[in-house]
Amino acid sequence: MTRVVTLVSLLALALGLTACSGDPGAGAGVVKAKPKCLDRAGWQRLANRIHAPVYCPGWMPDPLDGEIGGRWNNINSVSRDRSYLIGFIWFERGSGELHVNLRGYPGRTAIPRCPGDVGKNKVPCFADPHGHVRANGIDATVYTVNQGADQWHVLLAWHRGRSLYALSQHVAAPLTYRGVVADLKRMLRSLTVVSPRS
Amino acid sequence: MRYTRRGLLAGAAAGALAATGIYEAVDRLATSPRRADALGLPPEQHLLDLRVVHDDGIAVLVPPLHHQLVTARVRASDLVSAQHELEEALADLDARFPSTPAGLGVTVAWGLPYFERRVAAAWAKHAPFDRRAGKHALLPAIRFPSDPHDTVLEQNEVAVLLRSDSLDNVSAGAKRLFDELDVFEPTSIRKGFAGGGFEGRQSLPKRMAMTANVPGADLIPDTAELFLGFTSTQRANLGPGRIANLETLGYTDAAGGYFHGGTHMHVSHIFEDLEAWYLNFDFQQRVDTTFRPGLRARRDAQTVAQGPARVTDTNEVERDFRRRGRIGHSSSIQSTSRLERDTLGPDGTVYRKGTAIPQRADFNTLDNPFFWGPRGVDREPSAGVHFVVFNPSSDDFHRNRLAMDGVLPNGTRLPLEPGSRAQGLNSVLHTTHRQNFLVPPRQHRSFPLAEL
Repeated sequence: MTRVVTLVSLLALALGLTACSGDPGAGAGVVKAKPKCLDRAGWQRLANRIHAPVYCPGWMPDPLDGEIGGRWNNINSVSRDRSYLIGFIWFERGSGELHVNLRGYPGRTAIPRCPGDVGKNKVPCFADPHGHVRANGIDATVYTVNQGADQWHVLLAWHRGRSLYALSQHVAAPLTYRGVVADLKRMLRSLTVVSPRS
Repeated sequence: MRYTRRGLLAGAAAGALAATGIYEAVDRLATSPRRADALGLPPEQHLLDLRVVHDDGIAVLVPPLHHQLVTARVRASDLVSAQHELEEALADLDARFPSTPAGLGVTVAWGLPYFERRVAAAWAKHAPFDRRAGKHALLPAIRFPSDPHDTVLEQNEVAVLLRSDSLDNVSAGAKRLFDELDVFEPTSIRKGFAGGGFEGRQSLPKRMAMTANVPGADLIPDTAELFLGFTSTQRANLGPGRIANLETLGYTDAAGGYFHGGTHMHVSHIFEDLEAWYLNFDFQQRVDTTFRPGLRARRDAQTVAQGPARVTDTNEVERDFRRRGRIGHSSSIQSTSRLERDTLGPDGTVYRKGTAIPQRADFNTLDNPFFWGPRGVDREPSAGVHFVVFNPSSDDFHRNRLAMDGVLPNGTRLPLEPGSRAQGLNSVLHTTHRQNFLVPPRQHRSFPLAEL
């Protein structure tokens, strides 16, 4: 009985510490909650559609809900090469904007190229690496200058198998760069892999 | 420390002159560089001996840490008495502080409203004339193509620039000239700082921006001299010695006249959108737009060579634009800011082809847009620059600034949309205020022409 009480107390203490630190992954020995996909069915359909694993978010900044086809999902795009772009956006005049994109490029690891800002030249879609973020078994590179739907976003990109994945968020009011990086780290920790079912 | 208080502060200027606000952090975050002793007072007010360091093998001038610029209107009605009072106060400061960054640099500059309202007859007779431009050497400020339509063209009568490594010295200078004298009524107080991390430490702009929590602060390179990341006080980038004097290059007729030894000063305040700069332009694009399209620079380099041998002329600026669709800030300005041929100054100094003419004294700021103004200012810190530059005339400055917008000295106007990315740097800048001033020689720094 005593052992049970002690275990419960330790668990409570661990949970308390986690809450105080604001970092669910911080502290050795802390019991980590397993990330849970926010919309298992929707992301499963996407994985099945492209015949490749996709990353499903288990947390997004409020009010974004990660639901493909939901009210905040503004982009749901799959290209002929099976690469995908899933975007979520919330906007309120005077309050600001939240915009998150998730991408995957099955079967390729090279950073794609996008139309440049002036002239006809093409430039890397993700550029200016600013170090790495490591969490959830993922070693992601932070890119600060990005193109297309990721313009003015901070973007995390990483490899899994022979594929490239990316997660980005717009730096816009009410968030600053620092806030966006914090959001991205939290989203990265919450990702789960959803594999295709044949 | 976090400075995020938003509020509109007005009230008397007296307190603001000595107040430090966020700039107190400059003294906490930086140590004063070692400085040479003063060599005596030159006839010019605007010259200050600066230490030279080498960064990436390139000679760089180390500007004073603290800057304060106070604009004012003339309160005194008896100009001759005011002239004596002000000169006495300035002489007092000269005696107390060596005219070096370790001491105090004081530059008193006068605007057109002073000359035209207060000493109109003498001004009509002695105003230096820019022979090259066919106009007066001191002209009203203008808005440039990339300026917003609401850029304020100011009408201040006088501006006093105080520069020192010591905040106490700057405060003492401001107190002596504006508190203890009753000849001026301040119209704005502008404060800021300069200083790079040339010894490898985190630079002052980076630390100040982080302290103030301005958007994009995290993205400034750790050792950057300026918020926008590149070193701008390279020796080759700044005019040497007396080159920016009114008379040196013969642009004006000031030689031997009342204003011999004087210069022209342009002052503007510019907001800088750091997030737009660092999130929309990758390193190569920042190099392209700051220096020259296609220029090769070591990855993450901050000090990029700008010596006479690398000067870009008008044809090259046009060619770069046709090929790459953009212009560089430095390369476009160089088409007017560098000497086209060897030139002999009146004191026998030879200035070689490719030598820079403007002498810049700009400084980073967190003012929004000023530290103090009579109608109040927003105290939410905002990244920007108080741009201060000495040129031989208003027209010379205007030529440089127009070139920055693609209006080249041969009359070519490159088709650049205001604020377009092809203009690079300009697309993240927002100029709020501009004014031109005349800096008399030290001998006539106090209420010039009043004695006539």
